[in-house]
Amino acid sequence: MRMTAAMAGGIFGLLGAAGQAFFHVIPPPAYGICIACHMRDLVNWIAAHIFPIYGLKAGGAIVIPGGPVSYNFPLLTIIGILIGAVIAARVNKEFKWKVMRVWWQKPWAEFFLGMLVMISALTFGGCPIRTALKTAYLDITAVIGLIMIGVGVFAGCQVLRKLT
Amino acid sequence: MDLLPPIATVFLGLIMGYLGQRARMCFVGGMRDYYLVKDTYLIKGLFAFLVCALAGFILFQFVSPAIKTFPWFLNGGAVFAKKWAAMGVAADPSSLLPVPGDPITWCPKAGAHIILAVLGGFGLGFFSCIAGGCPFRQHIMAAEGSRSAIVYLVGFALGAIIFHRFVAPSIKAVLS
Repeated sequence: MRMTAAMAGGIFGLLGAAGQAFFHVIPPPAYGICIACHMRDLVNWIAAHIFPIYGLKAGGAIVIPGGPVSYNFPLLTIIGILIGAVIAARVNKEFKWKVMRVWWQKPWAEFFLGMLVMISALTFGGCPIRTALKTAYLDITAVIGLIMIGVGVFAGCQVLRKLT
Repeated sequence: MDLLPPIATVFLGLIMGYLGQRARMCFVGGMRDYYLVKDTYLIKGLFAFLVCALAGFILFQFVSPAIKTFPWFLNGGAVFAKKWAAMGVAADPSSLLPVPGDPITWCPKAGAHIILAVLGGFGLGFFSCIAGGCPFRQHIMAAEGSRSAIVYLVGFALGAIIFHRFVAPSIKAVLS
């Protein structure tokens, strides 16, 4: 059976809700699926355990910036996604070394774009997936954020039209 | 120590990675395709995500105590009021306050959170659109062997450290 984006999105939505309901991915609420936040938790946990000066000391304990669910051991969604996608690409023979087709998506530019995306995502408190999950959790600020992501994509599309 | 969340999220991530690779799932890409070529294949995924997550929260709140704050704009205020009482902050919680996760999570000003949502949301959409996909799609492309997506992930990880080292303290300093 062919997997469409609508089916995948529906399954992700149910998994995000089930992660909070049955697998204790709380606090904070609506944290079941997030790329930026879980990456932040993983990176901060590793950094704070390699360089203890990074975790700010509060009474001798290491305080790791991020979701309270990751204080003892970080969430490993990123590892799972990478392994799952490698398996899917290998099984269906779509794995191929390549670079992006267009000139501004060269590796050195993508490095800074990734940094900027992470900084804006954490300023707002979530990647597009967690924004949608927070919207489904009926958080009004997240609705504003989702609309602003649409506006930002619209502005980006205008720039893309100029560039291509 | 509770190891259920990390183990559960590994399997959740495996399912997400497999399905995302098969379906070319991308949240920012859906909006971009709709603006540029009026293609609705990917944006259907965003709407399906919203509908199914909402249905999931509505259904699971009857069976799980973890979703007791479900309509956040109604029940979130009580969480903030409890937290502020412990911190000694005197303020009335507004229904506009977001789910925790911001750098200034326990700031009592709702306006500050909306400014952050506007700035962060715009930057997130703009830079993701230029980069060619939302962070989830970049992970999938890195696993498919795209070199620029792998470099993107390195920048993505470093951005978290830069944010918590330099950006979050300055945001706190500006807004306090």
